[in-house]
Amino acid sequence: MADATAPAAIIDTSRKKRHWPPEFNALIGLIGIAIVFEILGWIVRDQSFFGNLTRLKIMILQVSIIGIIAIGVTQVIISGGIDLSSGSVVGATAMIATSFAQVGTYPRAVFIEQGWVDLPVIIPVVVGLGCGLIAGLINGLLIAYTKIPPFIATLGMMVSARGVAQWWTKGKPVSFPTDQYAAMGQGMTPVFIFLGVAILFYLILRFTVYGKHTYAIGSNEDAARMSGINVERHKVLVYTIAGLLAGLAAMVLSARGLTAQSGMGVMYELDAIAMSVIGGVSLAGGRGSIVGTTIGMIIFGVIISGFTFLRLDAFYQEMIKGAIIIAAVVADMYRQRRRAMES
Amino acid sequence: MKKTLLVAGLTSLLATSAMAETIGATIARFDDNWLTVMRNAMVDHAAGLDGVELQVEDATDDVGKQLNQIQNFIASGVDAIIVNPVDTDATVAMSNAAAEAGIPLVYVNREPVNVNELPENQAFVASNEIESGTLESFEVCKMLRAAGKAGGANVVVMMGQLSNQAAVQRTKDVHDVVGIDMCNFMTIVEEQTANWSRVEAQDLMTNWLSAGVEFDAVIANNDEMAIGAIQAMKAAGMDMSDVIVGGVDATADALQAMQDGDLDVTVFQDAAGQGAGAVDTVLKLVAGEDVDKKVYIPFQLVTADNIESFLGEN
Repeated sequence: MADATAPAAIIDTSRKKRHWPPEFNALIGLIGIAIVFEILGWIVRDQSFFGNLTRLKIMILQVSIIGIIAIGVTQVIISGGIDLSSGSVVGATAMIATSFAQVGTYPRAVFIEQGWVDLPVIIPVVVGLGCGLIAGLINGLLIAYTKIPPFIATLGMMVSARGVAQWWTKGKPVSFPTDQYAAMGQGMTPVFIFLGVAILFYLILRFTVYGKHTYAIGSNEDAARMSGINVERHKVLVYTIAGLLAGLAAMVLSARGLTAQSGMGVMYELDAIAMSVIGGVSLAGGRGSIVGTTIGMIIFGVIISGFTFLRLDAFYQEMIKGAIIIAAVVADMYRQRRRAMES
Repeated sequence: MKKTLLVAGLTSLLATSAMAETIGATIARFDDNWLTVMRNAMVDHAAGLDGVELQVEDATDDVGKQLNQIQNFIASGVDAIIVNPVDTDATVAMSNAAAEAGIPLVYVNREPVNVNELPENQAFVASNEIESGTLESFEVCKMLRAAGKAGGANVVVMMGQLSNQAAVQRTKDVHDVVGIDMCNFMTIVEEQTANWSRVEAQDLMTNWLSAGVEFDAVIANNDEMAIGAIQAMKAAGMDMSDVIVGGVDATADALQAMQDGDLDVTVFQDAAGQGAGAVDTVLKLVAGEDVDKKVYIPFQLVTADNIESFLGEN
């Protein structure tokens, strides 16, 4: 990141007129993929791919929960870190939160003996957000104060949180949540929750001190420290927020499925990272935006629906998804190199 | 005859009570619902037997880790080993390791690739996988006929993880049933994987509905996916009495869905029976008794007619 010192960041802004922002690449990719599916749709199924409200809805709905995680992951990556724990935190939080949200008519509810059933929805929500927050806080404290690399710290949390998810009920699923809790996942609610979170963090990253510090630390940690930013405290905050959003995603996911299972959220962290990367968030830190991640998320949604629509097997879906991730990173590297040569 | 049985029984009883038997068990994964019921049944059953100590480990779906666990069991001198294989193709090395050490071994639930060449002192306890998908699909076929759709019916199939033998077998069973004369009025119009997952099945079904796919029945490789399909169809405003939905496993959630009138067919795979059966079989091997190489615990069909007897089982 030779070009990413604090003064360079100022030059970057002035150059925006001449350079496309990285989100543009993703947007062009999205449009390209969309056109391919639309054409193939007419050839294979004799109907429009996009001219269908149900399909447009499911395209976003099926990725919005991972999208919530991706928002948190995006700000972690912008700060120069990585979070591998989010999928497991989803598993653990889903199990714990849902166990406080079960109906009393289900004889095998986790806390039926204690009488903790039919609780007001605020209790599982607070518990769930608390779980995510604690996991994120532990990540942040480890990274900021023991100086172990984020990759290792969150890898540890990834393994431990999955253990918690399995230990909570000894692997048994937690089903039959109350209607209030379930409401978080019904219909298009997950999409609205995603939009709320996305808009909030778009504004935070763009217009607040929190956002500016996040970019500054990701661009050049030493420079950020010298300019007076409390880097350690800020990192703790960044990872805590990522954990909190993973916790939120967990509740929406279990509310959507009306069940929590300890295997929930496996590989979600990688999908979330991939969405960010496709959307132009640089793994080197300091660059990227919520808009980009949202486009990355939509690309995932379009691909999943598109392949089902074309009756292609899941094998191809995974292969192509992988190829798109690689293509996005290659495009990003190319852009960076060209910019470095020009400056 | 009775006397010899009695004597044999008594000696085995004496043998087990006189000296504690330690069994090491490795389970493919702890976070699988069905395997959890099986695992808990093994633990409970062993706890109820005098002088049997059971140590259970989680292979976390990792073939290498599972082999290490088996070798650690051997090194620590267990009397018997129970393996729920992560990968059914990776069992030859496990059989060899146990055979060399002279320790009895039982595979449970997933059929090892070397099931027909198992060494002395080894056996396989499970349900016969061919039964489950066949029972499910054939019942769906009969229900479609009963609903007056013998003139032609569209079916969509939801598959489990494509790397999994049960998913492959159950899907093949659907095709086999559609191939017989009585059921060849069924046409498979869509067939996709939802990775055993309820939420993925919701998304898959919604994608199908958005493409205008029309069908009379949903045959899912497991209950979780069947439930996901039901949730998506209900969200789309479909009348569940018009669609036959089948799953496999008879989980608590599935039985609830059946009582609600949404799920029509499921198949009970006796998790507790397999878990307890594995413990019993391996103890027989330790005692030197004759044991069938394949011990089958039967699958049972569950519909609204007989659901009462399955509530609270899995």
